[in-house]
Amino acid sequence: MAVGADANRVTVEDVSMVYDGSNGPVEALRAVSFDVEPGEFVTIVGPSGCGKTTLFRIIAGLQTPTEGAVRLDGDPIDGPGPELGIVFQEYHLFPWRTVAGNVGFGLEQTGMPTDQRRERVGELLELVGLEGFADSYPKDLSGGMKQRVALARALAPDPDLLLMDEPFGAVDAQTRTMLQAELLDIWEATGKTVLFVTHDIEEAVKLGDRVVVMDREPGRVQEVLDIDLERPRSRSDRAFGRYYEEILDRIG
Amino acid sequence: MATDVSNELERTDNLGPIVEAIDPRRLLLGLLGLAGFVGLWWFGSTLQPAYILPSPLAVAVTVQSEIASGTMQTALLDSVVHWLPGTVVGTTLGVAAGVALGWSRVLDEALTPVVRVLRPVPPLALIGFAIAWFGIGHAGAAFIIAIGAFWINFYAAYGGVEGVSDDLLDVARSLGVERQIGLVRAVVLPASLPEIMTGIRTGIGRCWMLVVAAEIFGAPGIGRQIFRSANSLQVDRVIAYILVLSVMFLLVDTAFRLLQRRVLSWR
Repeated sequence: MAVGADANRVTVEDVSMVYDGSNGPVEALRAVSFDVEPGEFVTIVGPSGCGKTTLFRIIAGLQTPTEGAVRLDGDPIDGPGPELGIVFQEYHLFPWRTVAGNVGFGLEQTGMPTDQRRERVGELLELVGLEGFADSYPKDLSGGMKQRVALARALAPDPDLLLMDEPFGAVDAQTRTMLQAELLDIWEATGKTVLFVTHDIEEAVKLGDRVVVMDREPGRVQEVLDIDLERPRSRSDRAFGRYYEEILDRIG
Repeated sequence: MATDVSNELERTDNLGPIVEAIDPRRLLLGLLGLAGFVGLWWFGSTLQPAYILPSPLAVAVTVQSEIASGTMQTALLDSVVHWLPGTVVGTTLGVAAGVALGWSRVLDEALTPVVRVLRPVPPLALIGFAIAWFGIGHAGAAFIIAIGAFWINFYAAYGGVEGVSDDLLDVARSLGVERQIGLVRAVVLPASLPEIMTGIRTGIGRCWMLVVAAEIFGAPGIGRQIFRSANSLQVDRVIAYILVLSVMFLLVDTAFRLLQRRVLSWR
């Protein structure tokens, strides 16, 4: 792992994505550029159709951009791998594996000895508040619990970057608020660099050190906003409201 | 946090008992249906001579004498001697081929024409090959049975692998699985296991039917007994040996269903 000024820095450089549609080429992303500093929490917000999920998949190495590149520690990302922890909205847990089996999946690939792995899985389950559920199967968990498992699983191989695509979009409002707070705690405890995609402006302002605001047709960066607010942040705070309105104006 | 999880645990606990109790209503209705069937059979047998339809009692007596003489056990053992290897080999090859073609685009594109040509061939049409390659006996009959098992398992496994979610594969890649064989082992096989097991179960049943057909050219076993009895109009023996097939199918199918439920308890 690279150590130095570039460690864990994410650089998105002029990323463009053009699909071949049935009515000619479709421009999904146009010259998207921004950086994520090591240890920073950056949210990407935009209306549906702004290409944020495409951008997510490109940064995750699941799709290759038509032009431009994404770099992690200065090296181009050319495929998914353990340096990138990915959390999807739909959890995508392995249903045939227990909670512990899901969290330990990435560690098994590294050939970590069993007892060491068990210990690490235990720590991660504690981190996400699921001690005692190690032997449960995903089908017996609620949405919020599944997403905690998915988060622990993504963190297990100690990735340089945690990438999340609308991770709390499928849970109820109460659970969502709780998960947001937990994620911030985990981020502070682990010092991970986090890139978090959402369509929810409130969520973007609440969580991010900076918010990348995207717009559509074609998908592009409108602006990158520094959120200069102490955490925990509250929607009822007047400064919070100003950020909210500003973003809403940009993409509304 | 603590309250949140315990709330969710309560919700989880209400999902229903894990052990499925035997429904007494269903059991009663099932027994009634069976009794009705035997009753109808018995009633019909009183209207016909025994060589058309023997009574249930006559068949029971025949079963008893066939067991007493040991003929039935020998026939059953003979059938098992080609049923078991035929089913195991056909199932194994079918699952392997289905997974391989379902996973590998190159193999799929290269072999789809071959599959299209071979698929419509009924196993019995291959009796000539069975005799020429394996001779008249257990090996030939096992070959016929294996062909039957192969296709059922091939299509079940193929469909199962095709249905594996790309997202799960993406997750596995992002967690460090690099090689194709690793993805197959860690994701494709477990994810398609429900379909594969359904295929195996269907195949097991179909192979019991093929046992009779496979013995048409002289392999010993239950099918042989059925043909011989039919030729001499011993309908009670025909029915007695058909019952053996039914019972064997029921036993094996029930055992496999229990295994299936256990292995797939995560669903």
